[in-house]
Amino acid sequence: MATQNNNGATPQARRVKSMSDGKARRNIEIFILSAPAILLFACFVILPIILGAYYGFYQWKGYGSPSQTGKFVGFQNYVTALKDPSFQAAILHTFEVVIGSLVIQAPLAILFALLLNQKFKGRGLIRTLIFVPYVVSEVIVGTGWSLLLQKKGAINEILANFGVDGPDWLADPKIAMFTLLLLISWKYIGFAVILMLAGMQSIPEELYEAARVDGAGFWQMQKSITLPLLAPTLRIWVFLSVIGSLQLFDLVYIVWGKYVSTTAGVSTMATYMVREGRGAGNYGYGSAVALIIFVISLVIALTYQKYVLNRDLDGAVTEQKEAKKRTAKRAKEARRLEAAATASEVK
Amino acid sequence: MKFKTIAAATLAMATVVGMCACGSSNSAKDENTITFWHNATAGTGKQYWEDMAAAFEKKTGVKVEIQAIQNEDFEGKLTTAMQDPSSGPDVYMALGGAKTKDMIDAGQTMDLTDKISDTVKNQMASALKSFTYDDKVYGVPVTVQPGGIWYSKDLFEQAGIDEVPTTFSELKSDIKKLRDAGIEPIALGGKDAWPAGHWYYWLSLRECSTDAYAKGVNEKDFSDSCWTKAAEDLQELLDMDAFNEGFLTTTAQQGASSSAGLLANHKAAMELMGTWEPGVVKDLTPDKTAMADLGFFAFPDVDGGKGEKGALMGAATGFSVNPEAPQAAVDFVNFMAEKDNQEEYATAFSTIPASEEAMDSVTDDNLKQIIEAMSNSDDMQLWMDTALGGNIGNALNSGVVNLLSGQGTAADIVKAMEDAAAKG
Repeated sequence: MATQNNNGATPQARRVKSMSDGKARRNIEIFILSAPAILLFACFVILPIILGAYYGFYQWKGYGSPSQTGKFVGFQNYVTALKDPSFQAAILHTFEVVIGSLVIQAPLAILFALLLNQKFKGRGLIRTLIFVPYVVSEVIVGTGWSLLLQKKGAINEILANFGVDGPDWLADPKIAMFTLLLLISWKYIGFAVILMLAGMQSIPEELYEAARVDGAGFWQMQKSITLPLLAPTLRIWVFLSVIGSLQLFDLVYIVWGKYVSTTAGVSTMATYMVREGRGAGNYGYGSAVALIIFVISLVIALTYQKYVLNRDLDGAVTEQKEAKKRTAKRAKEARRLEAAATASEVK
Repeated sequence: MKFKTIAAATLAMATVVGMCACGSSNSAKDENTITFWHNATAGTGKQYWEDMAAAFEKKTGVKVEIQAIQNEDFEGKLTTAMQDPSSGPDVYMALGGAKTKDMIDAGQTMDLTDKISDTVKNQMASALKSFTYDDKVYGVPVTVQPGGIWYSKDLFEQAGIDEVPTTFSELKSDIKKLRDAGIEPIALGGKDAWPAGHWYYWLSLRECSTDAYAKGVNEKDFSDSCWTKAAEDLQELLDMDAFNEGFLTTTAQQGASSSAGLLANHKAAMELMGTWEPGVVKDLTPDKTAMADLGFFAFPDVDGGKGEKGALMGAATGFSVNPEAPQAAVDFVNFMAEKDNQEEYATAFSTIPASEEAMDSVTDDNLKQIIEAMSNSDDMQLWMDTALGGNIGNALNSGVVNLLSGQGTAADIVKAMEDAAAKG
């Protein structure tokens, strides 16, 4: 058999062999090309998560390794964190920010984008100006606003000129959350506007022309054409905004600091983690908090992907099945067309 | 073709392994080079360490590699670097209090008891106590920085105050005089929390008997009523509107609107701070020169308090040695303690040297007053949050901020410290 194969393999056999050769080569190529990315991902994303979960089981000060200098406490850190009223408050504040940013920014961004999508003088300038806060670093924005908004800061001085006794924008728990939402909206609205604007510009002009011919007014066109066709952009923006709000840290940390943010009612999950983990030197406890935050964010992200984004993301993790179905359908369609083409040729 | 594939694979693997391998320890220690970490990143302080390292190299031939690390980053970087002592710095600034204790327990600090020079033993006896744990020495101090109240002599005069207060009730009546004269009495950097904490530390040092205080700090037993009493005293100050308007969002040292800036610009009359205050205030005056009318007085005694009269609290900064460091590192910390170096250190940092023989070189009037206060008191306590360690110290500072923002009671501060024990 072997001799025969070597000497004169049938064309059929040769083709099979070269095909399996090609397949192996492709596998090697895939391995080589993706290995660095996978290794980096494993080293800097997966491994830290696993280590964080592991540290979370110890009372540990960060000196030496937890198994030597720490004390194994099982799930106690996780329980303490979830029971801590100040962590519960931080989670609540985070969700207030998530909802607040969506409610404030979405309508504003769409209105701004509609406005900036019209042709008028100075449009380029306004587009740039609205995007500027997004480009400036959080630290600079935070330092600037924290100076402006102090009880005796510039804003209250200006108000005093008009005879208004300005409130304590930052430290008063009744208004601190609104101040924060205002800052966030000011900082991130530019990003939302740019995204919406791009979405609007991808809507074909013909649709509007046809609507105009049918006698539709401006607002009717926006309602029936712009908004429905903007939906995919809106869904992506909501996703990015929610993830951003869940991670909110720098602005709060710089404007309020890790202690006053709690008394003012604007502490977030991340500021709590830094205060109780790094600030207190409880690296074990801090890791447990970090893992809880990770799980909360992951659940939200996956849920959103499964129920909302699946229309936009082909092949997202949560809907592989549907994607497979769709591929199969497409292949079937192609075969049908091919068959039809052959049939018409035969005719 | 095949060769190319293999070559590419090898290259890819080498790159990846190379990436993962970075950060592993450097090769075997060189006996004639030591690495040295401190936190003076600018000005005369940074220059001082460079000059001193050069002098040491000239004397012994040992090269000192210096890394100046920003103060707020220092602890995090040190903790990470010392995970593997063989790759950590040979000589590093000690964190003090419970943090140094944690590092000792993790085997990351060299026992220097038999290695320190006689100069250190004799001239620094008092400051050395801050680096002694279970009768063993783990660091060489360079400076002692007790705290007290810094004030503007001009503003006190404006309010008609002739003498600095020596008791808490005198302090309260002076606060009232200042308020009546339209001057903010006390500048407080509440955003950073620790300056607010300091008021509570000092009040408890005055209220608590030596035993009760030691029990609290060492055994975390805060059952004595003096701990609540101190918080009530603080509440009194809050209720009489003693602090600057908007003190909760005031930082300690950043810019003209910080608490040190308010004092520097005569917007507030006093601030409770450590020995570093003149240096900080100097940078915040309008023309960046020393504040001419800056004065100092010791924290007043509390009427009926059980604490030792004139007891001091503050920081002792010093340097520890890596257990795997060569002999040169030990020589280096002993070299720091020599009289000339201590005198130059005190000048460069505008502070009080740890070495008693070098104290005569201090010329600043305010610092001289502090040195006098030191000679009146047996011992200097470490800042309470440092002594308690990060965990409980952090809870203590949060508790004080809660009280000052009207969201907690005196009893809550004590409870917060007890709750913190569950997290660490």
